[in-house]
Amino acid sequence: MTVGEVFHKVCYTHMPDDERGPFLARSLQHLQENIRRSGPAAAAGYTLIGAIILLGGIGYAVDAWRGTSPWFLLLGLLVGLIVGFYELAKTVWHR
Amino acid sequence: MAFQEHAAEVAEGAAEKFNAGATIIEHVSNSSHDHPLVHLPTIAGIDFSVTKHVLMLWLVAGAVLLLVSLAVRKFLKQDRLVPSGFMNALEAVVEYVRDSIVLPNVGTKWVNTWTPYILTLFLFILGANAVGLLPIFDVLGLLNHWVLHPSDESFLSRVVHGGSTATANFNVTAALASLTFGAIIVAGTKAHGFVKHWVNLVPKGLAAPIYIILIPIEIMGMFVRPFALTMRLAANMTGGHIAILSLLSFVFLFAEMFGRAAAGIGIGIMAVPMASLLSGLEVIVVLVQAYVFSLLTAVFIGMAIHVHH
Repeated sequence: MTVGEVFHKVCYTHMPDDERGPFLARSLQHLQENIRRSGPAAAAGYTLIGAIILLGGIGYAVDAWRGTSPWFLLLGLLVGLIVGFYELAKTVWHR
Repeated sequence: MAFQEHAAEVAEGAAEKFNAGATIIEHVSNSSHDHPLVHLPTIAGIDFSVTKHVLMLWLVAGAVLLLVSLAVRKFLKQDRLVPSGFMNALEAVVEYVRDSIVLPNVGTKWVNTWTPYILTLFLFILGANAVGLLPIFDVLGLLNHWVLHPSDESFLSRVVHGGSTATANFNVTAALASLTFGAIIVAGTKAHGFVKHWVNLVPKGLAAPIYIILIPIEIMGMFVRPFALTMRLAANMTGGHIAILSLLSFVFLFAEMFGRAAAGIGIGIMAVPMASLLSGLEVIVVLVQAYVFSLLTAVFIGMAIHVHH
């Protein structure tokens, strides 16, 4: 079997119990569906990381400014964790 | 023998010159503020001089505006309803953004309100990311070095310094995320009214002391979302370029370490194909990052419109 034949078979063979379209088109559809559904989860994940980095960063900056290392950094990280997980919990429990 | 010693000496001299870190940073960061491309006056403490990234912003914005509006105008003038060529591709992108990004997140009622904004973001970010991959300025630099020999102060000499991906600059992505920050508030206000939008931020029907904790958390969450957008896009665009450049700088590092060109060529046989593969990966990253920024914007706008409490 040549490469061309394999390609043709992969692209245009219909699955036996499903006539919605060629194999590749269907996997692309499912991929899109999965990406679409993962949108809120991705948002929550980025918010979690973003909250920790932003508030930790603000804490670090305050420490550097006032010379109070490490207390504001720790406070910032703690508040960042709380905000991040709060946003995550909102996404998980409301959908 | 004498020749080899001389070669080693030359290589040692070069070793002092090649600084991988500084070279890579120079290729991904903005051009120097002290030597801007176009001098403009300082107004209200803000220096309006045009640096490399600002120039790239203008180029990309101009190119996207021209390409899209020309294609659409041409399509509106023609008699056939079936688009062809570039317009066909553009229509596929518009439809994809509307049906796969905006519609599932903001719902049928608001889809036509928010598609134009998110589509603009998508096309602009895609354009800026993609232009960063084109080696326009590297070709200009080569021309500069081998053919033209202009003075250091000429526009051409200054334009080859600095990275060409505007979206790899945190200020650019912060501006884009600020637009989204505003869009979230506008979306909530349009859907529920100004006061109701802010009331919607916190869940209803909880004991009064909990609100003392919840309200600050929600306000911080409001700022964290655009911050996450800012960091994500800029870091992803910078990261890919740094990975490619570090692989390529192996060639020079090895040539210096062993004092001969053969070592550089040897590692280059490995490093250059890997860098090429990474460039291929970058093409995907360019698309995915534009997609993710638009998707997250749509998700956040959708969250302001459909409040689940």
